[in-house]
Amino acid sequence: MSHARHAAVLGAALAALVLAGLVSFALQPYGIYLLSLWAVYTIAATGLNLTLGYAGQVSLAQAAFVGIGAYTTALLMPHGVPFGVSLMLGALGCFVLGLGLGFPALRVQGHYLAFVTLALTTLAFLVMRNETWLTGGIGGISNIRRPAGFASGRGYEFLCLGVLACVTLLAWWLLRSPWGRAFMALRENPMRAASLGVDVRAYTLLAFAIGAALGGVAGALYAPLVQYIEPSPFSLDFSLALLLMVVVGGSGLFLGPFLGALVAVLLPEWLRFLQDYYLVIYAALVIVLLALCPEGLIGLAERHLFRRKGRA
Amino acid sequence: MIGPDAPTVLEARDLVRSFGAVRAVDGISFAVREGEILGVIGPNGSGKSTLFNCLLGQLLPSAGQVLLDGRDVTGMRPAALNRLGVSRTFQLLQVFPQLSVRDNLILAGQEHVGSRIARLFGSPDAGLGAAADRMLGLFRLEALAAEMAASLSYGQQKLLDAAIAFMAGPRLVLLDEPAGGVNPTLLAGFRERLRAMNTEAGATFVVIEHNMEFVMSLCTRVICIAQGKIIANGAPAAVRADPAVIEAYLGD
Amino acid sequence: MAALLAQLLLTGLATGAIYALVAIGFSLLWQGSQVVNFAQGDFVTLPAFVMLGVMGYGLPLWVAMPVALLVSLLVLGVLFRRVLVQPMLRHGVMPLVIATMALSIFMENAMKNVASAEAYPFPGLSGGIDLGPLFLDWQSAVTLLSAVLAVLALHLFLSRTRTGRAIQATAQNPAVARLLGINVDRMILITFLINAALVTLAAVLISPAYLVKFNNGEAIGLTAFCAAIIGGFNQVRGAVAGGLLLGVTETFAATFGPDQYRAAVPMVLLIVFVLFRPQGLLGRREERRV
Repeated sequence: MSHARHAAVLGAALAALVLAGLVSFALQPYGIYLLSLWAVYTIAATGLNLTLGYAGQVSLAQAAFVGIGAYTTALLMPHGVPFGVSLMLGALGCFVLGLGLGFPALRVQGHYLAFVTLALTTLAFLVMRNETWLTGGIGGISNIRRPAGFASGRGYEFLCLGVLACVTLLAWWLLRSPWGRAFMALRENPMRAASLGVDVRAYTLLAFAIGAALGGVAGALYAPLVQYIEPSPFSLDFSLALLLMVVVGGSGLFLGPFLGALVAVLLPEWLRFLQDYYLVIYAALVIVLLALCPEGLIGLAERHLFRRKGRA
Repeated sequence: MIGPDAPTVLEARDLVRSFGAVRAVDGISFAVREGEILGVIGPNGSGKSTLFNCLLGQLLPSAGQVLLDGRDVTGMRPAALNRLGVSRTFQLLQVFPQLSVRDNLILAGQEHVGSRIARLFGSPDAGLGAAADRMLGLFRLEALAAEMAASLSYGQQKLLDAAIAFMAGPRLVLLDEPAGGVNPTLLAGFRERLRAMNTEAGATFVVIEHNMEFVMSLCTRVICIAQGKIIANGAPAAVRADPAVIEAYLGD
Repeated sequence: MAALLAQLLLTGLATGAIYALVAIGFSLLWQGSQVVNFAQGDFVTLPAFVMLGVMGYGLPLWVAMPVALLVSLLVLGVLFRRVLVQPMLRHGVMPLVIATMALSIFMENAMKNVASAEAYPFPGLSGGIDLGPLFLDWQSAVTLLSAVLAVLALHLFLSRTRTGRAIQATAQNPAVARLLGINVDRMILITFLINAALVTLAAVLISPAYLVKFNNGEAIGLTAFCAAIIGGFNQVRGAVAGGLLLGVTETFAATFGPDQYRAAVPMVLLIVFVLFRPQGLLGRREERRV
C-alpha cells in the first residue's frame, strides 16, 4: 500500500482524536463520559483488531484482558503505585498472559481457538467473582481514584484521548512495519508464510500478546473512569461486544475499531426509544451488515466511494 | 555441465511416508547436486507431492532422512528450512490475496533480513524495496505492483507465485508443477527466467512437472516415480526412452 | 461411599448424555457445512420456551413437544440455514462464525424480552425407585434412556440407511458426493434438521433440572462444544464420549470441589485437551500442515 494512504489513515485517526477533544467543550459531563468510554473501547478494540483483523486469530478473551488491566490498576493505585506504572504493569501482565494464551492458538485454529479464548474469559470471570480476598467478589472495588491532575471529567477524557493517541501511533507503526505484513500473512496464508521463513508460531504468539496488552491498557483507563469495578462488565458479553465493534467498523482496517467503538457507544444512546430491544435490533443489524459486507462499515463506504485497492 | 564433484545440496535417504496402509513414498533415495535442475516425473498419485512435502518439513516422514548440505534436517519446520536457503512453490497457487503484489514480494524476503526486533524498528519495506522492484521487472509485473494479488489473472498470479519463491535468493528451489495452467507463450519466457536463475544466481532446482516438453527442455536430470518408488534416474532423454517409465505411464 | 459414587455417576451420566446430544448436533453441523454454531446453546433454550408457551394454554407436555419439534425444524433447521448460513457461507467461515455469535446475542435478548429474565420451572418426572443402596430417580433414568436411544437411532440412520451414508459422504467430501449423484443440498438440509431435532430433545431432558432461562444457552452451548472437542471433533462417538466425561466430571467436581468453580470444569478440561491431546479422546492425530 502506498505511503500516502498510510499517512492519510493515521491523519484521519489523529484528527478524530482532536475532534473528540474539541467537542468535549460543548458537552455535558455525560457526553464527556461517553467520549472517554469511546477512547477506552477504541483501545481495546484496536488490540483485538490486531489479533483478529490483521493476524486472523479469533479471540474472545479481550474482555478478560480489559478486566485484568482494570483490576491491576484498582488494586495497585491505593498502595501508592502511580497510575502510569500500574497501567504499564497491567499491560505487561496481559502481554505475558496473551503469550500463554497464544500457545493453544498454535495447536488449534479458527473456531477451536474462539472457544479456547472463550473458556479463558469464563475462567477469568469466575476468578474475579469468587476470589473475594483479592477482587472484592461481586461487591467489587469502589472509590477508585483518578490520577492527580486528571480528576475532572474533561481532564480524564484528555488523559484517555492522550493514551489513545499513543496507542494509535504505536499500532500504526507496528502495522506498517514488516511485523504488520507478517501478521497479515498469518491471516492470508499461513502455510505459504511458513515456507517463506515466517515463524508462524512466534508471530501468532506476538499477535495475541500485543492485542492482549492493549486490552490491559484499556482496562487500566476504564477503572478510574467509572471509579467502581465489579466482575460483570468483563464477562463474555463484553468480549462479544468488542468483537462486534471490530467487525462492524471493519475488521483488518486501521480505522475500523474507531468507528466500531463509536457505534457501540452512541447507538444505544440514539436508540433509547427501543429500550430493551436495543440488543436484539443491534444483533440483527450486525448480521445484515455481515451478509452484505463482511468488511464492515468502512468497507461498505469504501466499496461505494472508491474502487478498493488495498487495506488500510 | 554439472561435474560429478559438485557438492550435494539435498539428499533423501530411504524416505518412507505412509498414510494408513498406503505407502505413498516407499523408500526413495536420491541426491541433488549444486547447480542441477532435477525433474521429478511420474503418473498421478505416484507420490511426487508427498515426497516434496516430506522434503520440506510439511509432512513428517514415517522413516528415512532428509539431508541439506550433509546435515540432517528431517522434520525441520518449513520456516527454519526456508531460512537455510530452501524455497518452494505449491501445486495450487499460494499467494497472499489481500496484500499488494509488491507486499507479497517484500514479505517473501523480509524474514531473511536482520533480526525480528530490528525489523520492527527498521524501514517498513525492510530495505527490500529495490530488490522487490528488480524481481517485479524480472517477472514483468511492474505495472501491477500496487494491485492486490487477488485481482491478478491466473497467469499473473502464477508468475507472482514463482517470484515469491525466488525473492529471498534461495540456493535450492522446489517447484511443484510450475507450468500447470500457464499458457504456452508465458511458459517459454518462464523457462528462460528459471534458466537465468540457475546459471546466473547458481540456484539448484527440483521440479515436479507433467508437461513433458517443459521437463525435457529445462532439466539436466530426471527421476521418475511410480507407486512411491524411483523407477528411473538419469538424463532426460534416457528416462523418457526407458521402457519401465513408458510402462508406468501407459499402465496408469 | 460406594453408593454415593454410584449415585453421582448416574446423575453425571444423565447430564452428560444431554451434553452429548447437543454436542452431536454441533459436530454434524460443522461436518455438514463448516458452521461453527455459537448459538447452539440458545438453540436448546428456544424449544424449551416454545413448550412452556404451548403449555401456558393449558395443553399437556406431550402436545407441546411435537409443536416445539415442528418449530425447531422450521426455525432452527430450515430458516437458520436459508436466512443465515447460506447467504454468509460465500464470505468464508469467519464471518459466519461471527454471525452465529450475533445470532446468539439476538436470540438471548429476544427471549429475555418476550419471557423476562426469570427462570421458569419445567415439568419433569419425580420419584424413583430404591435399588438397595442406590436410588434411581425416574428423571435421570428416562434422560439416560432417551439419549441412548436417540444416539443409537442416529447411529443406525447414518450407518445403515442410504440417506445416512449419503450424508456421511457429503460431510467427508461434498465434491465427490456430488459426482456420485448425491443431492448434496438436501443432505446438508437434513443435517440441519437432525440438529434441530437433537436440541429439542435436549431441551425436554435438561429443562426440568436447569429450569428455563433466556441465557441458559451460554453454559450449555459452551459445555457441548467442549464435549465435542474433548471427544474428538468430527465424530458422533467422540461427542458422546466427551459429553459423558464432562457430565460425570462436572457432577463429581460440584460435589467434592468448590461449587462456585463448577462452571470452570469444562473450560479447564478443554484447555488441557487442546494443549495435550488436541485430537480428542477418540480422534486421530491430524497431519502437521504448517
